Amino acid sequence: MNFDYNQEALKNLKIEDTSLLDRLVDYRSAREAHLKKDHSQRDKRMSLHEAVAEYVQDGDIWCDSSFSYVRSAIQGWWEIIRQGKKNLQAIGSPNTNQTYGVMYGTVSHTHASYTGAEMRGIDKMFSRNLKEGKVKIISDWSHGLMAQGFKAAQLGMPGCFSKQGLGSDIINHNPYLKVMQNPMSKDSDPCVFVPAIFPDVVIIHVNAADMYGNARFYGPAVNDIATAAASRKVIITCEEIVSNYDIRYHAKGAQIPFNNIDAVVELPFGAAPGYMPNEYYWMRYFWEKFFSWANESEERCKEFFDEFIMGTKNVNELIEKVGGLDWVTKSRRRAKAAEGNNETDGVSFVYKIWENGMDVKDID
Amino acid sequence: MSNDKPMNPLEMIAYVLSRQIEDNEVIYIGTGLPMVAAILAKKTHAPHITFVYESGGQDPEQLEMPWSVGGPMTWRKSPIIMEMSYSFGQAAAGMVDKGFLGFAQIDMYGNANTHMIGSEFTNPKVRLTGSGGNNDVSSLVDKLIYVGLQDQNKFAKKVDFITSPGWLEGGESRKNAGLLNNGPVAVITSAGVYDFEPETHRMRIKTLHPGVSPELAQLASGFELVRPAGAIPVTETPSKEILQILRNEVDPSGLFISLPS
Repeated sequence: MNFDYNQEALKNLKIEDTSLLDRLVDYRSAREAHLKKDHSQRDKRMSLHEAVAEYVQDGDIWCDSSFSYVRSAIQGWWEIIRQGKKNLQAIGSPNTNQTYGVMYGTVSHTHASYTGAEMRGIDKMFSRNLKEGKVKIISDWSHGLMAQGFKAAQLGMPGCFSKQGLGSDIINHNPYLKVMQNPMSKDSDPCVFVPAIFPDVVIIHVNAADMYGNARFYGPAVNDIATAAASRKVIITCEEIVSNYDIRYHAKGAQIPFNNIDAVVELPFGAAPGYMPNEYYWMRYFWEKFFSWANESEERCKEFFDEFIMGTKNVNELIEKVGGLDWVTKSRRRAKAAEGNNETDGVSFVYKIWENGMDVKDID
Repeated sequence: MSNDKPMNPLEMIAYVLSRQIEDNEVIYIGTGLPMVAAILAKKTHAPHITFVYESGGQDPEQLEMPWSVGGPMTWRKSPIIMEMSYSFGQAAAGMVDKGFLGFAQIDMYGNANTHMIGSEFTNPKVRLTGSGGNNDVSSLVDKLIYVGLQDQNKFAKKVDFITSPGWLEGGESRKNAGLLNNGPVAVITSAGVYDFEPETHRMRIKTLHPGVSPELAQLASGFELVRPAGAIPVTETPSKEILQILRNEVDPSGLFISLPS
């Protein structure tokens, strides 16, 4: 397909070669990719290493999943970084976890929506790397506009009309968005055309999946149901693999269907150091240390992630670093209490800004 | 936290913001001061409000301050958890009354920036967070209220990037751009409460906090504030009882309402 991008946005973003933009909105090629898959209900179980080696290629549009520190497939993402994949385009609402991928050269381009530290403010590491040209913004979005692009893809539509983005500078910094008159209205009614968007690969972490890839999870879906349908390649990592009967007879059934899925990886603690609904609390002081060190310098950040990502082979080694079984039991208890599935007495949800001398072990 | 301490500016902002909420409203909120204000409103004059979060949680059972908009405190025993596109969709469809947003910069028409500081997008002085849900909330909720600290840089003559459209260039410009909703109705800062003059849609002083003169408020602004005719009322301050609720029940660990030491 030949695409007609928003020219003002191309100019503002200084994009000359538009070919790197095409795959995200090429719905025909996404359909072709989905048609070429083996659609049989077959055993897709494999190791994380195998899944990432086979389904993530250099230059892919990689999609961050769920919500920053909650149910995001962080261990899958760390494996992509460990395997030295290069020049990925990052997308996702939010796309918070791209920041350390930028530091390692895993991500070179981004479809930006939100990269920050929520109540701890902005992500200074991302800001530094953007200024230094280590990452280039090739489209800028609001969460809602991007969510509509994913949802349009899931609904099988080439795009949709939105009332978001109007009057903002997002429109003239996103080659994919165009202000257009509502064709149903005789009166002036500007809308934003949002094309359906199709990442190359997404890793989604869930509570349970069967070996075919039927997946279910607790807590917010955010955009995961839509991105699973949209993406050309989908890896499921899960806290546990269950039987197909378990999926069928569990009250919740599956939220993501097997035919979206290429690989199923049993990966307990696959959302760590983030939060996993119904399972474990996030590693609070891991994040506090990152936010603090990210503010300090690139060297500090590198030291931090070299220890936790490059210095670990898998999530088990991460858990050892934050207290091992002691972390596991406290973290499970804390998550249950946070969600109202256990009493809150004796459980602390306090946060402390990182100070030198503190420990990433979850103390209290 | 000692309860005898004098009120600090963040507590004042949280209180004033809470007064913007009316009972039975459905409100779109993010973390930080808007959440503190909403919980305070719920515990005082507006017990029947419903909270909506962009991650999908709504009407959670209150426990602690959420650390992330996706965190369990935003969907603890929620009767429903929505996908992100549906969550914003309800605001577009007219089922959300108010939204609250912070800002890094805001101009005289209530256009706000959380994208970047600098003149060159591809090489900013500082890249901020980006929109997140800010553009969506400002484009969709019926009434938008901004909240933040006020100084000459934050109240900017021109914002470096319009993340959240306010009244754009004033007059009819917001309507002409095709935006659905009302636009910003109020700005709550450390100095006072502002609304927007109905014709020009320029920011106007509504009330000023105790000890803040119009001259002082103007000094802390990069653009000219509209002054209403007559005397400017002093913003109502919280009673001792409400301050106690704020400190003991709403944010007992002082995550959002204590000033950095």
